[in-house]
Amino acid sequence: MTSRALPAIRHYGIAAVTVALFVLLAATTDGFLSQANFRNILDQQSALLIAASFATITMIAGGFDISAASVFVVAPLFALQVENATGNAALAAVVGVVVGLVVGIANGLVVTALKVNSFIATLATSFMVFGIGFLVSDRSVLRAATDAYPAIARTRWLGITTGAWIAAGVVAAAWLLLSRTRFGRHVYASGGNAEAARLAGVPVARVKTICFALSGAAAGLAGVVSSSRSLSALPSDDFSFVFGVIAAVVVGGTSIAGGEGAVWRTIAGAFFIALMINGFNLHQVDPIWQRVIQGAVILGAVSIDAWTQRREH
Amino acid sequence: MTSAEALVSVRSASKRFGATDALSDVSVEFHAGLVHGLVGENGAGKSTLAGVVLGIHAPDSGEVCLDGSPLRLDSPADGAAHGLVGVAQELSLLPAMSVADNVVLGTEEHIGPFVKRRANRARVEALIAEHGLEVPIDARVGSLPVADQQKVEILRALGRRSRLMVLDEPTARLASHEALELRRTVRELAARGVAVVYVSHFLDEVLSVSDTVTVMRDGRVVRTGPASAETHESLVEGMTGRSIGDVFPAKPPAPAPDAPVVLRVDGLCSARVDARVIDFSDVSFSIRAGEIVGLVGLVGAGRSEVAHTVYGAARADAGSVHLHGDHLAGSITDALSAGVSLIPESRRQQGLIAQRSVRDNTTLPHLADFAGRLGIRTRPEDRAAAAACDRVGVRRPNLTAPVATLSGGNQQKVLFARAVMGQPRLLIADEPTRGVDVGSKRSIYETVNEMADTGCAVLMVSSELEEVIGTCHRVLVMRRGRIVAEFAGDEIVEADLLAAAFGKAARSTSEAGDQE
Repeated sequence: MTSRALPAIRHYGIAAVTVALFVLLAATTDGFLSQANFRNILDQQSALLIAASFATITMIAGGFDISAASVFVVAPLFALQVENATGNAALAAVVGVVVGLVVGIANGLVVTALKVNSFIATLATSFMVFGIGFLVSDRSVLRAATDAYPAIARTRWLGITTGAWIAAGVVAAAWLLLSRTRFGRHVYASGGNAEAARLAGVPVARVKTICFALSGAAAGLAGVVSSSRSLSALPSDDFSFVFGVIAAVVVGGTSIAGGEGAVWRTIAGAFFIALMINGFNLHQVDPIWQRVIQGAVILGAVSIDAWTQRREH
Repeated sequence: MTSAEALVSVRSASKRFGATDALSDVSVEFHAGLVHGLVGENGAGKSTLAGVVLGIHAPDSGEVCLDGSPLRLDSPADGAAHGLVGVAQELSLLPAMSVADNVVLGTEEHIGPFVKRRANRARVEALIAEHGLEVPIDARVGSLPVADQQKVEILRALGRRSRLMVLDEPTARLASHEALELRRTVRELAARGVAVVYVSHFLDEVLSVSDTVTVMRDGRVVRTGPASAETHESLVEGMTGRSIGDVFPAKPPAPAPDAPVVLRVDGLCSARVDARVIDFSDVSFSIRAGEIVGLVGLVGAGRSEVAHTVYGAARADAGSVHLHGDHLAGSITDALSAGVSLIPESRRQQGLIAQRSVRDNTTLPHLADFAGRLGIRTRPEDRAAAAACDRVGVRRPNLTAPVATLSGGNQQKVLFARAVMGQPRLLIADEPTRGVDVGSKRSIYETVNEMADTGCAVLMVSSELEEVIGTCHRVLVMRRGRIVAEFAGDEIVEADLLAAAFGKAARSTSEAGDQE
């Protein structure tokens, strides 16, 4: 019986657990079941969802992109410089995305052409990008000069912020790309068995490069959305954003080894973590303890993944 | 041969591993001074039987007797203590230590913590002299040829006063002259009263070295009898339960001499990427529509490398590949779009994406055929994948099952389904039936024949000469990166293929060996 139940648990476990958490919070926590609270969660998760949906694709292709944090920090600095100079918010947003795209292409080329381990390669580029962030901002906070820039993510439409709408659009695009297209199949094949994929005619290096490029662009867009929400951007060398991204991907059940995973998993993983934090906040749990528990949950998710994989083989 | 004479006798031994009967009701006797050959297909139970005798496996029922009295062996060390020793396929020597040190390893004579070097050395010298196994005693084992390493392993076994020795595939890694020398060693051991159990896939070798042969199939003993009463054909028949003719369907007729040339390879030379790459040079041949051409040679002769280069998966330094007169530029995508399909040598490492479904694995190179405006149109894709799988006989729970859950034979057929789907004009099949059961083998050969029938040219790289003889119209033999011989039709004979693969010098020694 377990042999049949196990793949099902492994397959839909994260979705079930997220729903269970939702029900638990709804039943026990005052203030959870309110429109304002949900709107808040959605809005807060928008930047992470944008970056994480494409980070999922990169990870399935067998890549590990840690540069999302640096792009997330630095792309809005470029964007705000452009916005301050030209007053054109749309152009600024495009510049932010292009910065991410360029970093992503560079990552992809280093990983595929120079055959550097992707974790190390993107760690190295991260430092470079963080440094460039200090240069481009002259080490100071940049603020939006127009009303148009904040409007990118803060406008309400059907009661939901445009930031959340953008996230929904990006998630849908990533989902379709991975599950419906030739490129998506090539991603799974490249991450599952690169040599077999190559011999079957899959352009493995190109596929991986495109994955890094797309996840770079997505991280850039995430940075723009986040800075639009907060009206400003600050140079730093803070890696914490990418840890949130990786946590969502991994808790969702996408394999760090590549070849397995899905965008919906990452969405479930992100909301599981977000609901957990929301619950902690509503119950006024000490933020320091929140971190400890969050770490334990990630560890638990990865352990379950490793355990079920062992059982399967 | 009464049981009173037997050194070791196995009586009605059975052993299950999970759901499979590795041994069922097996009875065999091994006699001192005789070489006892053990043959059978993979999974026939040879290794399990050897394991039972050596104390590696305890039988679920039945018993092992030594000198006529029942014996209980709990571990290989137990077996060794009774003089029952195995020489494994993979040598268990320490390459950085000397021959003498390796031979006495674990049984060194010593005073307290100190090893008595001279006494140990004398012991090894005595062993070498006694058995006539010449090995340089002070040489580092890692620097010796494999045949000498094997001798060291045998010396180690002899040093433990072995009465029965199991040699499992002892010549698998040996060159032909080394194999010949090993056979002499084996006869020598028997002459000194050791019972030798000789497990090998090389049937002719078993026939020439053994006194007695036991044929196994599906965990049972088919028969035990004198080696002189067996032939290569009778052994195959016993092992597979069918004659060679049953495994191989009738070849399609050879193409007419004016059939169009599909593949033409001219003066192809491998690109030297690094020292590990096996290189080949000046390889030229052509294949006509409907023709099945075998490419054989020893491991390292460059067969797979030629196949990969033709397919565009490896670069060439010189030479050209033409398909129906069109030049192939040397990339996999070019080859695929020109109608070339490759079944790679290792399905696990080079063929399949294990976690993905049967459908995804089948259609992977052909996804462009199903491109719609909203991504892949899965309905026609499913239909095409099902049709291709049905055509080659993939037995599957459904199309969405991960390909890793299929049996080896069916996994291999998925690769053929993938190839069939592209309706190739040239099929390159590298070891098309490796690790596949007899039933699947036949159905794979049928697929290959069908493809040839419809005008596909086939290049079959294979280490199994029987397969090449049973399926190919023409055979090219490679040695050290060059094509050295070509045989067609009735000229395709095992002895000639071997002679060409080993080179002329080796041919004369192997003939000498057969006369022994």
